[in-house]
Amino acid sequence: MNPINAPTPVETVAEAPDTPFAIELVGLHKRYGALNVLDSVDLDIEPGEFVVLLGPSGCGKSTILKIIAGLEDATGGEVYIKGRLANYIRPKDRDVSMVFQNYALYPHMTVAKNIGFPLKMRGAKGSAVATRVAEIAALLELTEQLEKYPEQLSGGQRQRVALGRAIIRDPVAFLMDEPLSNLDALLRVQMRSELLTLHRRVGKTTVYVTHDQVEAMTMADRIVVLRSGVVQQVGKTREVYSRPANTFVATFVGSPPMNLFSGRIDRQGSKMALAGVVRVDLDGAPPLPDGTQVTLGIRPEDIRIRPSTSPDVDVVATIRLIEDVGAEDFVTVDASGVRCIVRTTDQGMLVEGAEVGLALDRDAFHLFDEDGIRIEADTAVVAVPSDSPAA
Amino acid sequence: MRERLFSSRTVDEPSRIERAFYHVALIVACIALVTPFLYVISASLKESTSLFEYPPKLVPFPPYFGHYERLVSDSPFPRWMANTLFVATIVTVAKVFLDSLAGYAFAKLNFVGRNAFFLLMVAMLLVPYGAIILPLYAVVHAIGIHDTYFALILPPLCNPLGVFLMRQVISMLPKDLDNAARLDGVSEFGIYRRIILPLIKPSLVVVAVITFTEMFMSFIWPLVAVRDQDLQVLTVGVASMRNMTSVNFGLWSAAAVLGMVPLALAFFLFQRQFQARSIAGALKQ
Repeated sequence: MNPINAPTPVETVAEAPDTPFAIELVGLHKRYGALNVLDSVDLDIEPGEFVVLLGPSGCGKSTILKIIAGLEDATGGEVYIKGRLANYIRPKDRDVSMVFQNYALYPHMTVAKNIGFPLKMRGAKGSAVATRVAEIAALLELTEQLEKYPEQLSGGQRQRVALGRAIIRDPVAFLMDEPLSNLDALLRVQMRSELLTLHRRVGKTTVYVTHDQVEAMTMADRIVVLRSGVVQQVGKTREVYSRPANTFVATFVGSPPMNLFSGRIDRQGSKMALAGVVRVDLDGAPPLPDGTQVTLGIRPEDIRIRPSTSPDVDVVATIRLIEDVGAEDFVTVDASGVRCIVRTTDQGMLVEGAEVGLALDRDAFHLFDEDGIRIEADTAVVAVPSDSPAA
Repeated sequence: MRERLFSSRTVDEPSRIERAFYHVALIVACIALVTPFLYVISASLKESTSLFEYPPKLVPFPPYFGHYERLVSDSPFPRWMANTLFVATIVTVAKVFLDSLAGYAFAKLNFVGRNAFFLLMVAMLLVPYGAIILPLYAVVHAIGIHDTYFALILPPLCNPLGVFLMRQVISMLPKDLDNAARLDGVSEFGIYRRIILPLIKPSLVVVAVITFTEMFMSFIWPLVAVRDQDLQVLTVGVASMRNMTSVNFGLWSAAAVLGMVPLALAFFLFQRQFQARSIAGALKQ
């Protein structure tokens, strides 16, 4: 084709076609030499959605954010922003804003200049910038601080300035890289609710990175749990908590984490039990072949502490530690060498070193196979007994 | 309640005797540094005949300004000064710009051979100046710029010390700052100009002061590179006064004192810039 007649290369995502998704990641890979940081990440993010990328340090969540922003190149895979392939679009033309872990405010500029900078760089007129800065400052309660420099602000105010700089452009999506991680506990809770309120008012697609599962659960419309660059589960907060896809998600999401007991399936006719350090009946569980190695998971709040002689007790255990967290206690018990944590409101009734019985809620069992993958009722394999009529 | 075991003075705080010792040591050091300077000023204000009288008079009274008059009106001194200021200013401005630009590239941009180039530059710092004077002259002669201002200006621009300093300083600026600017729509040169330069102002001043001083005091290279009397710089010119006027120590001293003025002015002018805004506040503490 004659280069003169060639179509103009796509420079921005502004004129992108209608698409049901704000951001799509397709088979995203990232490799640093031999190190695989991201492995085939697929994710669709709807407009206005608040998606949290959750995982331990080094799991690749910040890398995903940087790849979406264009600050890092993917080794493989595609990024679509508003339906337009964004892999080869420069960061400034991707129409996304980012709030960095270290706010990255320009220290030599006042708050007003920091907030207005993205507009100024896009050629907006001085008066238009000033008007918009005033609007944003009012929204974020920064009007009094406009002439101050970042070093004169508190942590929470700096955080708001960083948000203001992200909001002012009215981008397709906000990308937030652990923006609350260095605030003290009280301010973090306050800023968390401010962020959520802001999100509901502005209604923008937000991709938020954190390693704090409480932050993830309180803020997210959907959580993406990552481990070693691999997506473990994508789902709504309740779903991730109550139906974890594997033992990693089960123990990473929820505080205290889910208790895990490993053992083998012991079938006695139609009755099935877990035989291990802990022996419990698995009446409501999907049927599994005899001898199958499984892990039983149960949340700390689904275990009741009873007197060890009580008839409904499944396991007898010794109390090792009682942590009083105010409204409830976290009780660490030792059941034949297996440690587990129980959440209880029976405060003041228990003493460390005492022998107690644990009653497990049968409806709250989670079963995982030997690879740690959740066993659902429809995926369980029923071992047909050799003496059954079907044999 | 138990009594305090130690007095309120902490262990690290120096005693009065220690403090007195420090003060005496500092005063002696100051005298050692200032005396030659005062002696030169004093010599510049004495007539040549009274320079070697005994006992010497440290404060000449009445002061004699004849040397200064002769220097300004009856010698090529103004020309030397103008040449020196011209060369030093051009080199300083160019070096601050080029060194910071190269430092930015080495610190923030990814390009093939970045580390190899940087190592090569650092290795250049290890080569003694005397070892490169002749090859440098050969190059300058070969490209035909000897005996021109270019011969005085271009070679000093290749000194890698500034690039090294700039690269170290810029590397310490958080990567998130330039990433934020990239997302805000700033070009790569814009990031250098709008974000990096204002934040490294104190280091720019350091490079400027080092370069200006070095240029002002450089002797060997201007002596080798330029023979034309009209292009002579201050150091070479003042040294040549020995031939022109036999040995007139008064005139020499006056030249030395006048030669110091631009450097002193530059120092006072830039002094405040050393205390530029810190980058505190850019990041979470």
